[in-house]
Amino acid sequence: MFKKTSILLCLFLTCFACSDPMETSMFTDNFDRAEMLEFWADDIIIPAFQSYAENLDGLDQAASSFFTDATATNLEGFRSAWLAAYLAWQEVSLFDIGKAEELGLRNFTNIYPTNTDLILSNISSQDLNLELPSNFSAQGFPALDYMLFGIEEDDALILARLTEENVVQYVQTLIDRLIDLNASVLLDWEENFRDEFIANAGSSATASTDKMVNDFLFYYERFVRASKVGIPAGIFSGSTEAELVEARYADIYSKELFERSFLSVKNFFRGISFDRTQEGNSLEDYLDHIRATNGLELDLANSIISQWDSVDSALTELSPSFANQVTTDNTKMLALYDEMQKAVPLLKVDMLSALNIQVDFVDADGD
Amino acid sequence: MTSKILIIPTLLLLFLSACTDNTLDVQIETPISYEFTRDGNSTVSFSGQTTRISMAEELSSALLNFDKSAASLIEMYANETAAGADADPFLSAELNASTKSIRSKVAASHDFFYSNQVEAASIKMDIESWISAQITEVFPHKDQLAALGTAGQIADGSTARYVSAKGLEYNQAVLKSLIGALMVDQMLNNYLSTSVLDEASNISDNDNGVLVDGQSYTTMEHKWDEAYGYLYGTPGANYTDAMETLGSGSFLNKYLGRVDGDADFSGIAQDIYDALKLGRAAIVAKDYDLRDAQANIIREKISKVIAVRTVYYLQQGKIAKANDDLGGAFHDLSEGFGFVYCLRFLRIPNSEAAYFSRTEVDNFIELLSAGNGFWDIEDATLDQISADIAAKFDFTVEQAGS
Repeated sequence: MFKKTSILLCLFLTCFACSDPMETSMFTDNFDRAEMLEFWADDIIIPAFQSYAENLDGLDQAASSFFTDATATNLEGFRSAWLAAYLAWQEVSLFDIGKAEELGLRNFTNIYPTNTDLILSNISSQDLNLELPSNFSAQGFPALDYMLFGIEEDDALILARLTEENVVQYVQTLIDRLIDLNASVLLDWEENFRDEFIANAGSSATASTDKMVNDFLFYYERFVRASKVGIPAGIFSGSTEAELVEARYADIYSKELFERSFLSVKNFFRGISFDRTQEGNSLEDYLDHIRATNGLELDLANSIISQWDSVDSALTELSPSFANQVTTDNTKMLALYDEMQKAVPLLKVDMLSALNIQVDFVDADGD
Repeated sequence: MTSKILIIPTLLLLFLSACTDNTLDVQIETPISYEFTRDGNSTVSFSGQTTRISMAEELSSALLNFDKSAASLIEMYANETAAGADADPFLSAELNASTKSIRSKVAASHDFFYSNQVEAASIKMDIESWISAQITEVFPHKDQLAALGTAGQIADGSTARYVSAKGLEYNQAVLKSLIGALMVDQMLNNYLSTSVLDEASNISDNDNGVLVDGQSYTTMEHKWDEAYGYLYGTPGANYTDAMETLGSGSFLNKYLGRVDGDADFSGIAQDIYDALKLGRAAIVAKDYDLRDAQANIIREKISKVIAVRTVYYLQQGKIAKANDDLGGAFHDLSEGFGFVYCLRFLRIPNSEAAYFSRTEVDNFIELLSAGNGFWDIEDATLDQISADIAAKFDFTVEQAGS
């Protein structure tokens, strides 16, 4: 009798000890990751890169019109096309995977603050090599921002400057480079990487879902939360830094750029197609499927979405210019940061553990 | 007979109570801050250490200044010209006016190098050769992309790193090596050593309150402060409340802060700070055993900090490589290379011995530099070096590596 009891007790303890991991794998196994990856590729990612390509073409055409006939109207057209392309960029920046990751697309497209001394020295340089990492901060949209909006004191002077031959050449080189880089990323998605991406539907550190979710988190934390909001608000330095906003020379657009990138984050999570007409399987469905909860046992996907609603509410309080906002009333910018920050543990701790995905990035050492 | 029996316990009791009283009398508390005074004047002084750290900070930025010549960088290292004449290599006039230099205190501790000048000279030369190589090997390729067998720049995130043909950032090799060859060596093997603290008439001077001419401190007090200065004398740091500015500067203080920030090692900075304060208080109280016990705590823990950070960078380099982040990997491994070089200066507590011999460190450096260096280094090599280092301490590669 006594013996039987102890055997039973042992059995019970053994079962109890292994119940946790079994539960996890039982729930994660039957979500169709391939279907989700296919929706991501065909309905979100590839259309976003195609739209970005079209907008870059628009930028190229507007530049040609201006260089052919340097009028104030054509300068306005050039600037609008720059903004349209910059907004389109916000919807692809998140997808730092495949060719984009290999080429370092983001480094060549949107490193700010831009280095104006370097730009000016590059303009007169004979042997310019924009592939060098030391030239990250002298190209892409931030460099064009400087040249279109900040290279001189006022619009008349900027217009005149933009007719100088070596300036024209530099601007054109920057635009051509954005076009070429994106063309090779898009081509790779269309011809090779789409199928590879969808086929890699397992769950390991190198599987598409695990990598894409990591890219998504890294983008949200580093590029949306920190770069666009936290750094100008002085979260990391202790004092506001208005000159570090995105598009600092056309800072009136800094909020709009932020909104577009944040929208791309939300739509990716919810599985809203690039053209906003369909909903497919995405992280929200995945979390619902495995009935994931947050630390308070509430529905995790809902908690994340409702936290992001709070971000949107905080956003309505802000000036279109984040530079203006941090200068006049930084408290509201800090409030926006706080709301964004509250979503980080939901994503990075609760979501990742529910999906059984390991974080593959660390906070930079800083030296 | 009876009286004798009674006397013994009574004597014992008296003896015991005397003992207790005595212990209470000399009980030395760990001071809250690193503040010591005599007749109302501070007795703490380590300006020479702050000066040398400042020189190293200037050298740090100069190593990436493409307008510098090798000769001008070496003048910063030596604070004199190649011919031995006075030089003004620094931006700071105060540093130019100083007669001190980085080089004169590299591999210059009493305990490890007093009669080991052959090795000391080769260490000074290693660092000098990396400084030169930055100019002769890397700078000519500064506007090229690095490739296997070719120096140049490589992206680490959005930062450009400048590497040798083997992927090594010479500036990192120089700066991280100085943490060991200058700061740790001077601290653990010189200023905390009985050979220095008790030199000449230091003990009787300290016992009798004989002060250094024109100063408010005894020689022994000053020596201990100089050890303190190499860690917490970082320019601009809070010198009396060192935990307030833990992690400041680019050298030992910074990396103590980093290791302390790892949950596996949290508290180690406070332990070191407490031992420095208590050891200094022990000198004031003339309790040299207590002083030496603190010196050994500091030796053990500072050695551990360097070893942990070495393993950390080797493991981070391995992970970055696995993620195809070559630039990130080269940066981690370059820092790791410099930290490996520091291992030579680590001191086993309660002994005269180093944790690592010259041969062991040379062997690690050789493994890191073999063939095409970081371009084709194997994970197994990084794991082996990490394991060999961790085996000498009470931490695992896993604890240090993340």
